[in-house]
Amino acid sequence: MKCEEYEALFAGWIDKELTPAEQTKLEQHLTDCAGCREELAAMQQLWDVMGEVKTPEPSDHMRVKFQAMLDTYKESVEDKKGSFAGIKDQLNRLWQWQPRWPLAYSLAIVLISFGCAYLFFNTGKGSKQDEQLKELTSQVHELKQTMMLALLENPSASERIRGVSYTSEIKHADKEVIDALLATLNNDPNVNVRLSTLDALSHLASHPEVREGLIQSIVQQDSPLMQSAIADVMLKLQEKKSVKSFRELLKQKNLDPGVKDKIKQTITQLI
Amino acid sequence: MLKVKAGDLDKMGLLFERYHRPLYGFLFHMTYQREASEDMVQQVFYKMLKYRHTFTGTGEFIHWMYSIARNSLKDQGKRKKLQMQQEGVEEMADRLPGGTIPDEQLERKQAKLELYKAMEKLSDDHREVLTLNRFQELKHQEIAQILNISEVAVKTRVHRALQELKNIYTNTER
Repeated sequence: MKCEEYEALFAGWIDKELTPAEQTKLEQHLTDCAGCREELAAMQQLWDVMGEVKTPEPSDHMRVKFQAMLDTYKESVEDKKGSFAGIKDQLNRLWQWQPRWPLAYSLAIVLISFGCAYLFFNTGKGSKQDEQLKELTSQVHELKQTMMLALLENPSASERIRGVSYTSEIKHADKEVIDALLATLNNDPNVNVRLSTLDALSHLASHPEVREGLIQSIVQQDSPLMQSAIADVMLKLQEKKSVKSFRELLKQKNLDPGVKDKIKQTITQLI
Repeated sequence: MLKVKAGDLDKMGLLFERYHRPLYGFLFHMTYQREASEDMVQQVFYKMLKYRHTFTGTGEFIHWMYSIARNSLKDQGKRKKLQMQQEGVEEMADRLPGGTIPDEQLERKQAKLELYKAMEKLSDDHREVLTLNRFQELKHQEIAQILNISEVAVKTRVHRALQELKNIYTNTER
């Protein structure tokens, strides 16, 4: 055997991975061959020096970073599931709500018209008919109101605006409607919905609680658009009680300068 | 890892505890840069999460881990290499114990420093096989699986790597 063939055993020798047979074979060769002996010794020495090399420790914040990464990853996985469930949910809601209310609404109107026709043709004139007509009208009214309230809860902003616009059709807004509108005015995330709510409420200003609610709402509005719109409404209604709320609003530090001027103007006009 | 694959992502934390040190060591010896190595450890664990479905469970987990790490190294690769080497030597020199020390220790310190320099000049293949064999203390057969070559080839490569290292080492000494 030539030296090169023994060299294949060198790696095993220094790593102590040789079989006993291989080991004796190599040892025998080493006693005869000074060249290989020397080379192996040099390698062994190198190997030993390498053994003293210390690998630096990773820093502690690596663990923190890993945990953060794992958490984000878990969230993203859950989000995927979550958003899928969310879409499914919304679809379900669409199926549930969209057809149900309008359908109920149209059906009710059809029934009522039939009812009216029936009443008109079949029963006699007089107070009884009037009474029933009144009852039916109030039922229609109630239906509109329920539908409007349902629409205000809709996740889509345009649907909520539609709901708000129904208020013009409700002649005698009761407390429930007013409360729902005021809640929308103060809490709706969409500024357009709030603007149309304000518009709807300004038509209902004959109700004292609406005026009260509007005045209270002044300080709750953070959008400059809403703040100036509400000032317009107050000016139109000549509501002197609102002055106090406006003064309070003026104290807010991040108030838009344009809005500030407008409110000051409004106050002087109101007083 | 099979549990992670099945969806128990928290088990990844356990694997991190167990393997992030050796993985970091391997990446450090391949790049000689601490931060880059830490980033890559992070990357490797992220890849293991993301591609957990590709873990078959037929081989050992660490073989899979090292093969992902090797791919990351390849991606990260060669563009940064020169600057890394420069920083690496200084980094290592700093880490060696200093101060007043006896001659013998001084000699050993010198020897280690020379060795580091020599290691850096090794070709990537050779440095890799020596790192796995000597620093990671893996057996030839395990290295063969990670590198996807035969065991005999690993032994030959270790031998060649040591020869190359010895040549560089003795040359720089003079």
